[in-house]
Amino acid sequence: MIEVDNLVKHYRAGDGSVVRAVDGVSLAVAPGEMVGLLGANGAGKTTTLRVLATLLAPTAGTARVGGCDVIRDPLGARRRLGYVSATTGVPDRLTAREIMRSYGRLHGMDEGDLDRRVDRLVGALDLADFADRPAGRLSSGQRQRVSLARALIHDPPTLVLDEPTNALDVVGARDLFCLLESLRAEGRAILLSTHRLHEIERRCDRFVIIHGGRVAGQGTAAELIGPHGTLEQAFFAAIGAGAAS
Amino acid sequence: MSVPDVNHADSGSPPLAAAVGSTLAVAAFQLRRLLSWQRLVMAALGVIFPAAVMLAVRRTARLGLDDDLAVLMLYALVPEAVCMLGLLVTMCPAVADELERGTWVHLAVRPGGRRALLLGTYLAAVAWTGAVGLLAMVLALAVMQLPNPLRVAGIFAGLVAISVLGRAALFSLPAVIMPKRALVASVAAALVVEYAAGFMPAVVNQATVSLRLRSLLVAWMTWRQRLPVEIHLLVDPQPPWVQIAAVAILVTLLLTTAVVILEFRQFPPSDEI
Repeated sequence: MIEVDNLVKHYRAGDGSVVRAVDGVSLAVAPGEMVGLLGANGAGKTTTLRVLATLLAPTAGTARVGGCDVIRDPLGARRRLGYVSATTGVPDRLTAREIMRSYGRLHGMDEGDLDRRVDRLVGALDLADFADRPAGRLSSGQRQRVSLARALIHDPPTLVLDEPTNALDVVGARDLFCLLESLRAEGRAILLSTHRLHEIERRCDRFVIIHGGRVAGQGTAAELIGPHGTLEQAFFAAIGAGAAS
Repeated sequence: MSVPDVNHADSGSPPLAAAVGSTLAVAAFQLRRLLSWQRLVMAALGVIFPAAVMLAVRRTARLGLDDDLAVLMLYALVPEAVCMLGLLVTMCPAVADELERGTWVHLAVRPGGRRALLLGTYLAAVAWTGAVGLLAMVLALAVMQLPNPLRVAGIFAGLVAISVLGRAALFSLPAVIMPKRALVASVAAALVVEYAAGFMPAVVNQATVSLRLRSLLVAWMTWRQRLPVEIHLLVDPQPPWVQIAAVAILVTLLLTTAVVILEFRQFPPSDEI
């Protein structure tokens, strides 16, 4: 379960002014649910996800991952969270297996558990063909799969993905969403941000649209779009930028 | 697809063994990163540099180089110059490298990831620079032709170890406080703390590695009785174990402070890449 309640995050800019990156965002993701966080660049998506990932401390409000408050119990939140970002940060000279093993050790997994877990992920995420190849020689889609495997190494019940399809082509994006749907079916709570609306229109259970650091609308596709529109139209209507047409 | 296997989400706080394991995992990862041909060329230059200087001095010194002066030069070249320069390129970018490579977020979202990053990088920097320093010392001793090279080698092995352990801890602070300017800040720290404050005959020099290294050199080379009176002000008369204990305390304080700062450090997304 992911819960964000009235989250506020302010930065102090280089010129001393205060930037309100997130200004009162509330959302929730239940186990077995995939929620799309939509917004233009600078809307506050990444900041919200980074607060959930314990990378940034909220100015006000609360955020919980798997029941653990990110401020009071950051270690608990980190144990229950898998995080994937647009920049995969996959080291070029290590293989997928080595990357998974390195990060598994950061979770204190013992070698036996780690071996079994790596083998399971290699099979489940279709990494077998390139699991022993240095990551520098992998395609963007393969690197993002490795990044997902790394996020899942400790078997977290929640997944947060920050624009995971940014560097992927259509096929890579479709494959990644197929994997995410499988993970959702296992009961994981998944929150992902994107501004490629057409990719997620039929894949997410609910959507949260944020604009200027505030929630501009949220609900299921049917609630947001209505019987004849598109998610893109609903998005532009919500942020008040005019209809997509 | 069936991913769930073992759920670690509810495991307790990482025990000491897990913390050590994660630190060693990062150290191994960083050492592997250092094994690029560019870094190996830099390391080779660091190994050759003191021997080349000593060789050049020996050839130009008409009456031969005094043994004590040669040891003093070796001290300036290896535990000071080579170790300091090596640590500037291995320890200073501890956090900046991760931010630039986009790996910071993936390390920082792991329990103990930030601590493991800093301590693992510290171990890798100490091992790498220490190895370069030791090889540089052995090569330089080979060209210096000192009367008792094994004894000098033993003394300098200790000095190199203490230099890299102490200075890497010192550079960990700029690495976490101002990662993007860590190199400049570390050079400033080296000049102001190690060389300006370290040579000041006052209480302030007690907190520097350079005072401890000089004092150990004087004690282990049994130079104390022969030192001019004014030079006595620049070394600590305490026995070697006190110098080593002082460095150990300094390292513990510096690394603890750096880990605590890094645990609370926040980087806005704009700080990456």
